[in-house]
Amino acid sequence: MAARILGWLALVALLAGLGAAFGYAPREAVQGNVQRIVYLHVPAVLTAYLAFALVFVGSLGYLLTRRPGWDRLALSAAEPGVVFTGITIASGSIWGKPTWGTWWTWDARLTSTAVLFLVYVGYLLLRGMIDEPDRRARAAAVVGILGAANIPIVHFSVSWWRALHQPSAMIGPGSAPYPWWMKAVILLNFAAFALLLGYFVARRAEIARLEDMHAG
Amino acid sequence: MPDNWSYVFGAYGLAAAVLLVYWRRLAARARSLHGRDPGKRA
Amino acid sequence: MSAYVRRAWIVVWKDVLSERRSKESLNALVFFSLLLLFVFQFALGPDRARVETALPGLLWLAFILAGLLAFGRTFLVERENDCWEGLVLAPGDRSAIYLGKLAGNVLLMAVVEAALLILFALFFGLDFTAALPALVLVLALGTLGLAAVGTLYGALTAQLRARELLFPVLLLPAVVPVLLGAVTATQSVLAGQPLAEAMPWLTLLAAADVVYLVVGMLTFEFVLEG
Repeated sequence: MAARILGWLALVALLAGLGAAFGYAPREAVQGNVQRIVYLHVPAVLTAYLAFALVFVGSLGYLLTRRPGWDRLALSAAEPGVVFTGITIASGSIWGKPTWGTWWTWDARLTSTAVLFLVYVGYLLLRGMIDEPDRRARAAAVVGILGAANIPIVHFSVSWWRALHQPSAMIGPGSAPYPWWMKAVILLNFAAFALLLGYFVARRAEIARLEDMHAG
Repeated sequence: MPDNWSYVFGAYGLAAAVLLVYWRRLAARARSLHGRDPGKRA
Repeated sequence: MSAYVRRAWIVVWKDVLSERRSKESLNALVFFSLLLLFVFQFALGPDRARVETALPGLLWLAFILAGLLAFGRTFLVERENDCWEGLVLAPGDRSAIYLGKLAGNVLLMAVVEAALLILFALFFGLDFTAALPALVLVLALGTLGLAAVGTLYGALTAQLRARELLFPVLLLPAVVPVLLGAVTATQSVLAGQPLAEAMPWLTLLAAADVVYLVVGMLTFEFVLEG
């Protein structure tokens, strides 16, 4: 029920976000219209962070209370989190091709997002390898907690590393500060993605709950 | 710089496709679970 | 407090003693380091300049590969000899076991890393003596980070049938910051730069170490159940 409401809200918000990204936002001066990918790329990475924050909360909740609902939250957030991370990487790479000239340049955001992707794919792989619910939940929780704690550390280490090897300022993903209206459109699309995340989490958690019920 | 609309549509299209596929996977899993218990409400 | 330290110490001492008798891990790891040297040389070709430029990365690559082997075996003894329940049922704060195992792993890696440095110096004609004190600091901070996560994930994957696959898959992304920081700091130190140059990276390493240690200590008991 909650899932359905979230779903419809998400749909409306997504359409609004698309409209803003293509209708309201003006053509960017230097890069041209390819810069509109930012309205997909940045909201996606923000949503991924939100998802992994939920994984952290679910992991912590399970270790502290041993209630399966928390573990279901962690799992249900991790899956769409990996999806949004993948979208971030793909959109960043596609954006980079016409602007930087290559599909990949170890740019700070792309690299740390890729590391994030690896961490949480590992999380899902780990879950897939353990059948016993309590052991699976505990093991996943530890990885979920360390993974989340590592996010800022990865971010800083990659940025500093990148700053060492950065050639002259490149125009493309991750350059230039954003004017207020750009931030507004990004925020709108982020809200839409967040609602979509909520919808996915709700549906995935319901599936997990039903599966637990059938198993138990 | 030229507009590179193909890249824009490529990125958005790919994202939409991935989200759609994930959504349908969820829907299919939910359906199969509900199929097991016809008396269950969502 | 002292009971806690004693508990950790007992774990270290047990592992050190059994390792000193059998030397199975140590011998194999040192020999593995020698093999890596040859593999690196063959992979990079005869140009010595290439090896020297890549040296910081090669060193840490070698440490990580050796670490994957060493940390994966952290709980091998307990697993193979049916002592797992002994760990699980041990009274008191289980994080002491984590610290004990961690200390044992750090000691093991210290020996392996010393051996690797000597081997690198011998085979590639390098001289580490000038940079040695700073290098030791970098090695210590980096190894602590690797071992902190390695010991935790080693325990986590110990009972899994897919341990050999999952352990590297989990460990490697988690220690990316350690790798970046350690390689950059090592590069700076080996290039003869003053320690202040590498200080931001050392601080990052230290901060990461603290985070990993705290998470490890807090979550270890949950890993050790059942």
